[in-house]
Amino acid sequence: MTLRDEVRQAVAAVGSPAPHAGGAGGAKGTTSDLTIDETLLLHSAGWEPVDLVYGISWWSIPWGVWQWTTGEVQEASTAFTGAVDHAAKQLRQSCEQSGGSGVLGVEVGVRVSSHHVSIELTGTAVRRTGADSHRFEFVSDLSARDFVLLTRAGWWPLGLAAGASFVIAPRRTAREWAAQQGQNVELPNLTQALYLARERAMERMQQSGTALKAEGIVAVKLREGRASSSARVIQFVAIGTGVHLRTSAHRTVSPELVVPLDEQVRAFDVKGLRRAPAGRRSGGGPERT
Amino acid sequence: MAAAAGDGLPEAATRRLAGGAWSSGLSVSDFASCLDMGMEPVGYVQGYAVLQWSWFMATGGFGMGMGGRLGVAGGWGVTPQRGGQYVEQWQCPHGFVSAEHRMYGANYELTWLEDSWASGWGLATGRMVDEAKELGATGVVGVVDAMRPLVGGTTVEFRASGTAVVVPGAPRPATPFSTYLSGQRLAKLIEAGFAPIAVVATLSAVRMLGYCVTHYQLAGSTAGTWYGSGAGGVSGVGPVDQVNRAQAAARRLARERVRAQLGADVLHGAALETSEREIGEGDLSIQCTLKGTRVRRFKDFDPLPDATPVVRLA
Repeated sequence: MTLRDEVRQAVAAVGSPAPHAGGAGGAKGTTSDLTIDETLLLHSAGWEPVDLVYGISWWSIPWGVWQWTTGEVQEASTAFTGAVDHAAKQLRQSCEQSGGSGVLGVEVGVRVSSHHVSIELTGTAVRRTGADSHRFEFVSDLSARDFVLLTRAGWWPLGLAAGASFVIAPRRTAREWAAQQGQNVELPNLTQALYLARERAMERMQQSGTALKAEGIVAVKLREGRASSSARVIQFVAIGTGVHLRTSAHRTVSPELVVPLDEQVRAFDVKGLRRAPAGRRSGGGPERT
Repeated sequence: MAAAAGDGLPEAATRRLAGGAWSSGLSVSDFASCLDMGMEPVGYVQGYAVLQWSWFMATGGFGMGMGGRLGVAGGWGVTPQRGGQYVEQWQCPHGFVSAEHRMYGANYELTWLEDSWASGWGLATGRMVDEAKELGATGVVGVVDAMRPLVGGTTVEFRASGTAVVVPGAPRPATPFSTYLSGQRLAKLIEAGFAPIAVVATLSAVRMLGYCVTHYQLAGSTAGTWYGSGAGGVSGVGPVDQVNRAQAAARRLARERVRAQLGADVLHGAALETSEREIGEGDLSIQCTLKGTRVRRFKDFDPLPDATPVVRLA
């Protein structure tokens, strides 16, 4: 069957009566934020999307913690950890309710203000195609492509591992300030504060991974910058997916080498297209999913 | 739909659609892909609706949509009202403190706002589809929609546009299909066995009027700790339960509402967006939009081989 035949078949389905949820086979509507490429790739690996799922949590931070201290703001770090755990728990519940075995492509939203930290997790619950029962297995911010590649190598995602550190950079003493005027020298107070904060965020993420019984954490994303509430507050957030090896040893993925012979930008030949056999593809462009 | 096609379309639109060169909003590559699929563009179609608008209507304050019991002693007071409208209430655990103390709090769905949004979006997309009908189109591809403030902050415009296409040799549906997709990805969607049916979207809106504990938490105050957590007080660091319930409710409502439109179909390319507005200290208005293309399976997935990993040497 050619692509044009399939298009005509699809158009015929548009006018057909809509199937009812809970009808034959207990079918129900599904929602997914995966692209069609990801859906196809997951299908080839024996998985299918089930539902769009979410988890959100706001945790409070008491007044005054940003003002009268230097070094790490412990309350903000605790609030971050609590909010991530709470949001991940909701995400898991949402996945289980929809009949999914795991959540893929989780987008992580982090906001820190003077009096609260908010964590928002949104992803698509997936399950094995054709399986009767679905046991919850993982939450991951990996894309469908990365998930398929990871599992092919014998590894398996477990959950999100996250850690954060919020640091108020200490001021220099008047003597230090005066001694450093007009010189390009290291500012040890800032170096030490930033170094410490980075290491603590990473350490907490690794502790979070250990709690998941993960052997490692992949696709770690580090976010850093000044907090919106104060120019002197610097925040570090580290998030990744905890993984463990399911096979006896890592399986080497041997990719095929491909030398593409097409140009990056292809010309559009109207005449050629009009005569093109059905099913031939033209150059792609930016599209919505 | 306020006006049927032809009768309600501007005169210039009727003239434009009646003849002359066809127009299209497709990029050149999308245009090429559509021709490959056997979809011929017949015209750029659009629909608009301007609505008087307020996110904070005077009648939308405390009490609007509230039919439940106040005075539920502490904890959660889950009382869905009016045919499933989301309402939850909270009561101060401290007893009487002062006239300014927030004795009650509530989360409730702003149904008037949701209805207004659904009306504006429905009018714009409906008019776009009406233009496609006027052209005898099979469907509308590459839909782009938006809502934007228009004049003085009290009016908003809903807009929807796309490219109407015909598929020679295919039966013309009573209502043309519509999809956010076009080009290569639309071809893949159809090859995967999904037929585009319609663009769907919904807005859910929840207002949160914080009670004393939520107010303390959002202001960073530890006043509530005097009573200990057992009596409803809060520690300095902890979950803001009322906000969390409101945020989760906004997302759940959006998903349920879209699901109600799907039947056994699939929402492809779902885009979930949320926003909050602080309407006063300790009070929030939360909106959540969920959009995507409703697609229907018309054939099973063709068996796919395992994907082959490659390294490009380009």
